Amino acid sequence: MSRVAMIEKPQAPLLARRFFERGDPGPIVTALAHVPELLETTAPFLGSIYGPSHLSPRLKEIVVLRTSGLLGCHYCIETHTVVALDSGLSREETLALRNEATIEGRFTDERELALLAWVDCVALGPGCPDEKMVSELKARFSDAEVVEITMVCAATVMLNRFCTTLALPTSPATLARLSEEGLS
Amino acid sequence: MSAVAEAISSGRLPGRMWMYSNYHCNLACSYCLTESAPDAAKRRLGGDRMLSLAREAAALGFREVGVTGGEPFLEPDMPETLVGLAEIMPVVVLTNGTLFTGRRLERMAPLGERDVRVQISLDSSDPVANDTMRGPDNFRKVVDAIPRLIDLGVKVRIASTLEYVDETDLSELCALHRDLGVPDDDHIVRPIVRRGRAVDNDMGMSAAAGDLPPELTITADGAFWSAFGPTVHGGRLDTDLLVTRTIAPLRIPAAAMLRLVQDQPASVNGDTEFI
Repeated sequence: MSRVAMIEKPQAPLLARRFFERGDPGPIVTALAHVPELLETTAPFLGSIYGPSHLSPRLKEIVVLRTSGLLGCHYCIETHTVVALDSGLSREETLALRNEATIEGRFTDERELALLAWVDCVALGPGCPDEKMVSELKARFSDAEVVEITMVCAATVMLNRFCTTLALPTSPATLARLSEEGLS
Repeated sequence: MSAVAEAISSGRLPGRMWMYSNYHCNLACSYCLTESAPDAAKRRLGGDRMLSLAREAAALGFREVGVTGGEPFLEPDMPETLVGLAEIMPVVVLTNGTLFTGRRLERMAPLGERDVRVQISLDSSDPVANDTMRGPDNFRKVVDAIPRLIDLGVKVRIASTLEYVDETDLSELCALHRDLGVPDDDHIVRPIVRRGRAVDNDMGMSAAAGDLPPELTITADGAFWSAFGPTVHGGRLDTDLLVTRTIAPLRIPAAAMLRLVQDQPASVNGDTEFI
């Protein structure tokens, strides 16, 4: 059970109403709606982080699900397991990203391995990545990609803390899909 | 000219800003929007913060400030706060009028020399009917206080909140307010709004944002679209008319209010006087 009330459509504040127009906007929005001025800025920010961008959906979900797995955020793990599957990741790969299986043997592409090392460093901190890790990443990604990867990871850390602390509930549809996939 | 001042000049935004000084009250009226009562959470703004907000409101271009609650005069420094507010802008303060005796009455005297209107609730010329809505002995206290306040030079208005307008009852009520020294221009009749305790008692008319004048209303819980916004039902604050949680600096909720007003037709400034 979540630790704050979820704002429902009839109680949606004026600045938050547009987020409720197309049905249930999900618990992140319904929690943030308590503070509409935060929702107004955070929702588009999250949209730009998790929406379509020049980083491929597969790479982005590797970042998000790995970060969430390392930080143990149930809401984000469950929600993004489904997104990851829909982005082309295999069941085995999602298990590894969820920190329920080893990376070794499940990810072999050097680009993705460099990405995973970077994500582990950013998500777990503290401190900066060493020069070897930097050169491994920069040999395979442009500066723009490095910035976006780092920002997606950092934003996911923030969201992991938010969702875990407030115990936001995973949607029934997501739980049903995870059950079907044997990933509950 | 600030964006707020321009919106007020063009009629898109009313010039009055409201502040809920507190939520607790010595009464527990049957139609109370905020479920106020003696044991309600106080949620005070505090005199200093009210003065600071009013100064910023004036700088932004607001022209008048309203103070409501709860019962504002349960706040120990309310007469002095009102004097301070009146040095910034004209003031109207809403009160149940039951607390003006003894020392508290004497402390109202300075308001007579300031631009402060004291709006007192009185719903019927029939003591029984009035007290059924507002609580025991309410009628006697109010009709006792009004002439005393007028004698001190305080500008008194009477507000009657009615579920139905019965012409006979209304004419008797008007005769009473004239007898008390309050002219017709200072008597307003307003409908019960179906929020707060009125919902439980199946009273009043529903009012959405578009039905209510967009008068920026500041409370300890945030800024709202109207003085009818920060209502409480079942012990929980209604958020459907919440604008921002941030109340200071005032330019933040004021800017949000302007964005909302720009989406509204100018007619929402309202033909119905709810306050």
